Amino acid sequence: MAEEFGARVEDLQARRRRNLGMGGPERISRQRERGKLTVRERIDLLFDPGSFVEFGLLAHQQSLRGQPVSDPAETPADGVVTGHGQVDGRQVWVIAYDFTVMAGSMGQVGEQFKAARVRELAMRYRKPIVWLLDSAGARIQEAAGSTFAGSGFLFYDQVQMSGVIPQVAAMLGPCAAGTAYIPGLADFVPMVKGTSSMSLGGARLVKAATGEDVTDHDMGGSQVHCYESGVGDNEVADDRECIATVRRFLSYLPSSNAEPPPLAECEDPPDRLVEGLEQIVPASPRAAYDVRKVIKAISDRESWFEIKPTWARNIVVGFTRFGGRAAGIVASQPLHKGGILDCDAADKAARFIRMCDAFNVPLVYLVDVPGFLVGSAVEKQGIIRHGAKMLYATSEASVPKITVVMRKAYGAGYFVMCGKGYYPDLLVAWPFAEISVMGPEGAVNIIFNKVIEQAENPEEKRAQLLQQIRETISPYIAAGWAMIDDVIDPAETRRVIVQGLVQAQGKDLDRPWRKHGNIPV
Amino acid sequence: MPTEVKAELVGNVWKVEAKPGDTVEEDDILVILESMKMEIPVVAPVAGTVKEIRVKEQDVVKEGQVLAVIE
Repeated sequence: MAEEFGARVEDLQARRRRNLGMGGPERISRQRERGKLTVRERIDLLFDPGSFVEFGLLAHQQSLRGQPVSDPAETPADGVVTGHGQVDGRQVWVIAYDFTVMAGSMGQVGEQFKAARVRELAMRYRKPIVWLLDSAGARIQEAAGSTFAGSGFLFYDQVQMSGVIPQVAAMLGPCAAGTAYIPGLADFVPMVKGTSSMSLGGARLVKAATGEDVTDHDMGGSQVHCYESGVGDNEVADDRECIATVRRFLSYLPSSNAEPPPLAECEDPPDRLVEGLEQIVPASPRAAYDVRKVIKAISDRESWFEIKPTWARNIVVGFTRFGGRAAGIVASQPLHKGGILDCDAADKAARFIRMCDAFNVPLVYLVDVPGFLVGSAVEKQGIIRHGAKMLYATSEASVPKITVVMRKAYGAGYFVMCGKGYYPDLLVAWPFAEISVMGPEGAVNIIFNKVIEQAENPEEKRAQLLQQIRETISPYIAAGWAMIDDVIDPAETRRVIVQGLVQAQGKDLDRPWRKHGNIPV
Repeated sequence: MPTEVKAELVGNVWKVEAKPGDTVEEDDILVILESMKMEIPVVAPVAGTVKEIRVKEQDVVKEGQVLAVIE
């Protein structure tokens, strides 16, 4: 009996070893030649040492075109490694495609049983889910035919998870066809430069469907998605940086929407006065500077984590910490397009604000905005519809909101950046802030057009009226009306933000029931 | 390989800061546009020599219009 027992255990160990060997040494070395790590190396980097618990290791492909598959050893784990582990001591679930097994294609076992199991359990326990994507897409040999009628649960599940648990889609290889909706629905999408790509149709399908000759990389690499389309969030150099970025992203978020974000230890004094802002921000409201320098100066040291840094750069969004408390920053960026809001900037901000609001991360708005871009080009792009998303997101956000008007806050730019009408928990301005329906130069031309035209010396008249308007734009006028809560020394910005976050930490808004609003997508 | 430097958005040319033949580093300012009352610096995306400046001060430029060529 003991002999039989031992033999059975040995058989189990052999099965485990075989499946841990992935697609075998040859395919593993091809994976490495492409500059990629193996799926198991990636999982080791994602989780705290020794914390990974695998589900479905012994799975394999079951059928091919309806016929049973004879050799399970050919398809270890059915090409997808699933389970859970700890990230900074907190449970996170993973679905990691193994390109060395049938090109990481999504088969029936891997998708309908393994991945579905992870989605179910992550939601059951309200823990984040991470996809490590390196997959040729659906396994057409298994999926072709009208049993397709029974597929598609994946994206429905993702939508149910949205705003309940954080979802990350790390792009470490190809991700073609319908599976590209995994990143499309995820909260965070880092992309490895050179090796990752995503597109609704892969290159071969595109050639067959439309005749277009294009590579997967040119069609859906990080250059496209992190710079032009905005589908990707952060371009990273390699697999290691990608997975480190995933861990960093998760560190700012709670495990689910039922929890507050984790508090970090903070050695940077919360009441530290911010030195050197006068070296960063020019006094002339027209001149450019890099607002990220302001964010770094006021944040806890080393805590700034920018999201979508290379797309719609005229607005800056990302996570940071103040006195150990996580916060989402929405900041005008005068360095690019003068910080003017356009369609992409409004989309970028709205999406980020909604993510922060869903996961209880307070928002800090740093305002230096000349307004929304006007003109025929942006009207054709639907600037009203896109701008409305940002109005919507800022209005709807029920997390603590703190607004610091640094320099300009003109027109609807002031509204979407959480002006008085959007119920900030704290609204302060720097001494040279200009809150106004528009800048003085614009206003003088519109209000006094006729007066200037009819004057004996139009230029002199214009200068005189401009001065008259300038005198109506001052933070002390807004403060005098108590429309803003205070005017602060820029050096006090960090301390004031920390105070605001502490003041609003118990915030609990009660709003009328509705099924959901109708955001102008 | 010449690199075209394009306007990010519609505006006026406020100042031209470089001229053909100038050697520029990456991020050096070539032209400053004015749009929505903001000064919007247009910088060299790469180091090289300015081959052409295709605009002059006061010109109105469209989004995507080539302002300069660097080689």
